[in-house]
Amino acid sequence: MKLRIIFLLVIIMGVGNAQAQKYITKNGHIRFFSSTPVENIEADNRQVNCALDQQTGDFVFKVLMKSFEFEKALMQEHFNENYVESDKFPSATFNGKVKNIGAIDFSKNGIYNAVIEGDMTIKGITKKVSEKGTFEVKDGKVLGKSTFNLLLADYGIKIPNTVANNISKSIRIDVDVNLEKLAK
Amino acid sequence: MKKKLFVIGGSLAGIGLIAGLIVYFFVFNKPHRNYAEATPDFDLKAAALFEEFRTNPQLSSVKYNGKVLSVTGELNAVEQTDSLTIAVFGFEEGMFGSEGVRCTMIPELAGEVVKVAPGTIISLKGLCTGYNDTDVILEHCSLEK
Repeated sequence: MKLRIIFLLVIIMGVGNAQAQKYITKNGHIRFFSSTPVENIEADNRQVNCALDQQTGDFVFKVLMKSFEFEKALMQEHFNENYVESDKFPSATFNGKVKNIGAIDFSKNGIYNAVIEGDMTIKGITKKVSEKGTFEVKDGKVLGKSTFNLLLADYGIKIPNTVANNISKSIRIDVDVNLEKLAK
Repeated sequence: MKKKLFVIGGSLAGIGLIAGLIVYFFVFNKPHRNYAEATPDFDLKAAALFEEFRTNPQLSSVKYNGKVLSVTGELNAVEQTDSLTIAVFGFEEGMFGSEGVRCTMIPELAGEVVKVAPGTIISLKGLCTGYNDTDVILEHCSLEK
């Protein structure tokens, strides 16, 4: 509900400005990747909600944890039941801003560097994050990309000793969102 | 005596090997659930499901997340991305466009729903992964006969 309010605020706050434009997707893609000498584990979620306000730089994500798909069914079970406890914490969110939104020319095709800061909430734990990414403006659409690492311990995700060598303590996150202009 | 030990050792090794293979294939590499063949835990109208989540997301998450649902409603649209085919039951025009129940089809079975004309009443079965403040999400969906 909280993110719904944030989503609505992102939209409503720009209503007064006729030039304000929002970009959204309901099919954002987030992949996480764990690499250890024993094995690599990756999972994909292609049903990520994301919104960007071109004027204010407000940038929000909502990710359903049960939508992550693993190659192996057992990994998916462990992820949901033991690590992220998706029954108790069904979603993860990011609520932040593109700090240099003014440097991105949404009317001109090109690839622009972006600095994104905000609050990441996973498993009920919120941490400040600051990451770099790019926005590629192409014919009115905006392709946002970022790659960064998260420490599992920061979000209270404990790895049992029995599989400690199989799962990296630091997980690489790849974000890939193809944002389209919100129809007025 | 040597022969007896050999037989016992060989038998134990054989049992160990079989047990190892069983664990490998049926535990570590057990296949994903075949949702197209699964019996639904709930059979309900898409509109009712959306309304339940919209009005009480927490209670509905406990009730439906991780369950196989069969939902029936009027197909609003079929969206296709590079890798997904999503059947949409839309009920509300929100800030993010149509909001409702979004059903990601099993790729091999996606062709069935692409042929269905918008406005047709259909039933889709899939795994409910939750409500993201705009839509209820079903994954691994198939068109019910």
